[in-house]
Amino acid sequence: MVDIGLFTQIVINGLLLGGIYVTIGVGFSLAFGVLEVVDFAVGEYVMVGAFMGAVLAPLFGAEGVFVIPIVLVVFFAVGALIQPLIHHVTTGDRPHPLLMGLVFTFGLATFLRGGVLTVFGPNSQDVPSSLLTGGIAVPGLGTFPVVRTVTAVFGVSGLVVFMYYLYRTRGGMAIRAIAEDRTNARLMGININRYQSIAYGAYAALTGSAGVFIGMTFNASPGMGLQYTAFAFFMVVLAGMGYLPGVIIAGIVLGLTQSFTAVYISGNAVLLVLFAIIYVVLLVSPAGILGKGEWAT
Amino acid sequence: MTGTAPVIDRLPGDRRYWFLALGVLLLAWPFLFGSFWARIGLGALMWIGLAQSWNMIGGYAGYLDFGHGAYFGIGGFAAGIAMVQFGYPFVVGFVLAIVVAAVLAYLVAVPTLRLTGAYFAIATWALAESIKQAALILEITGGTFGLSLPRSPDTFIGIAVPFAISETFFYYAMLLLCTATMLVTYYLFERHEFGYRVKALRDDQDAAESLGIDTTRVKRQVYVLSCVVAAVFGSVYAWYIVFIHPNDVLAPIVTDRMVIMALLGGLGTLTGPIFGGLLVFLLQRLSSVFLGSSTFYLPLIGVLIMVTVLFAPSGIIGILRGEVGRDDVRKNLKELGEKFDLL
Repeated sequence: MVDIGLFTQIVINGLLLGGIYVTIGVGFSLAFGVLEVVDFAVGEYVMVGAFMGAVLAPLFGAEGVFVIPIVLVVFFAVGALIQPLIHHVTTGDRPHPLLMGLVFTFGLATFLRGGVLTVFGPNSQDVPSSLLTGGIAVPGLGTFPVVRTVTAVFGVSGLVVFMYYLYRTRGGMAIRAIAEDRTNARLMGININRYQSIAYGAYAALTGSAGVFIGMTFNASPGMGLQYTAFAFFMVVLAGMGYLPGVIIAGIVLGLTQSFTAVYISGNAVLLVLFAIIYVVLLVSPAGILGKGEWAT
Repeated sequence: MTGTAPVIDRLPGDRRYWFLALGVLLLAWPFLFGSFWARIGLGALMWIGLAQSWNMIGGYAGYLDFGHGAYFGIGGFAAGIAMVQFGYPFVVGFVLAIVVAAVLAYLVAVPTLRLTGAYFAIATWALAESIKQAALILEITGGTFGLSLPRSPDTFIGIAVPFAISETFFYYAMLLLCTATMLVTYYLFERHEFGYRVKALRDDQDAAESLGIDTTRVKRQVYVLSCVVAAVFGSVYAWYIVFIHPNDVLAPIVTDRMVIMALLGGLGTLTGPIFGGLLVFLLQRLSSVFLGSSTFYLPLIGVLIMVTVLFAPSGIIGILRGEVGRDDVRKNLKELGEKFDLL
């Protein structure tokens, strides 16, 4: 006997969660497509974003929402400055450039996680918000928690703005050209350093601000990053590496899988199910469930 | 010759005497420096061995295995389950750890080694996390309670042994295992034809195949070998530490450390993991003593990795060998500066 009320509530929660995961997945997928780097630091950006929320919110009347613009600017700047380093290790005459990029971001992730752990200690902290509390009850469907709804709206609008930039502006065209072929893009007179930095900065900004929202929804803890790195991997594997539209579906699948597993199987089994899905998809259909991703070597 | 041949050549006297001195020092270690340093030595030997086991697949074969720590945990749990749930002595658990790790590694290798690069890294990582989650849920592994292993004198080979299963015992066990790992690596990867096949497939798989190397077979052999080595250390560690929990022995940090150690030391070299393993292990263990914080070593290691990848991709060994000199760093910095042309 399936409880219809519970069922729709699970669907709502899953879809709302999916909205914010999409934000993380899109940036990650773009970072892969443009910079050809698999970023192990993605979850740590989420974590640092959440901690910025926890630390800065008290300065703005205990309101996490006001921290978002700061996080966007800071992460964009930091991301734009990190990108040349990644570009440097993935090009040149060194062996295994992709693996070097992977290891570099792995070092960055270790640095961020360890840094936050050392400075703030292992305990989790709340990201306060007085605007985003309570829930909106929709008769016949269930409750929409405000913080999750705003988070999902932010996630989807972030995605829309990002897609607009990418597909409707000259800068976006330059970024897509770099993703297509770095050398040719350079020959066409594109300043690849600049546009790669913009892409990576935008990715870091989106991910960091997603972190503030996640902090408001749950909390901020130094160990939370790994889980979101796992989620980001899950989404790009499902979507197909570098295929942006697939990320939307993958994010929703992820949100729904998470909320259904947590309710109907066990909260402990969520990661097991997710990892089992990644593993099987990678083996059966490495270009994603839609088959439109690209192969990395 | 071994990786550090030039450095060793610069040492005064015959190199054999230096090896002899080192051997004597390692054998006398627990008696010379007391139990604190014996424990440090024990841990260092284990991590050097583990780093070398990762180096086999990650360094020599070029497959970044981000789930290698799982086999360390599997070895530990295989031995632990044999001893706790079935009441066998340690030697049975030890053999079981090898068998289980080998079979599982082979079963994993067949599909997973079809993936390359980042995909292989993600898949192995996902697999290791699933194994950890499964261990937390299953009952035979003790679930979230973990397993407590017995360590009375009759748990070694079934009948009581006339010596204590003490820290000194484990120090020598690790010394033996670590030396054996080094010798196997030296023989297989630096001396034997097998090593040339492995390096050939790492550098260019198509070219290696065109020369008649069965790359699929070689890859699987390396993977199984490296996983078994990790499991061997895991089983001995489980017995040494007495209590194992999925969040400890199956944690991603185990893999992370192996990767960091091998990378900092120098990928695909015999002596790299020794330097990298010593450096990272000592940083971690002595962090609270010298750095005043038990976690400060993490960001430090993060920076070390980034700097290594940026300026000395061949690791400490590369610096010792003179591959990375002042001019290379200067050239590297200049190229890096050009990439900051953002406006």
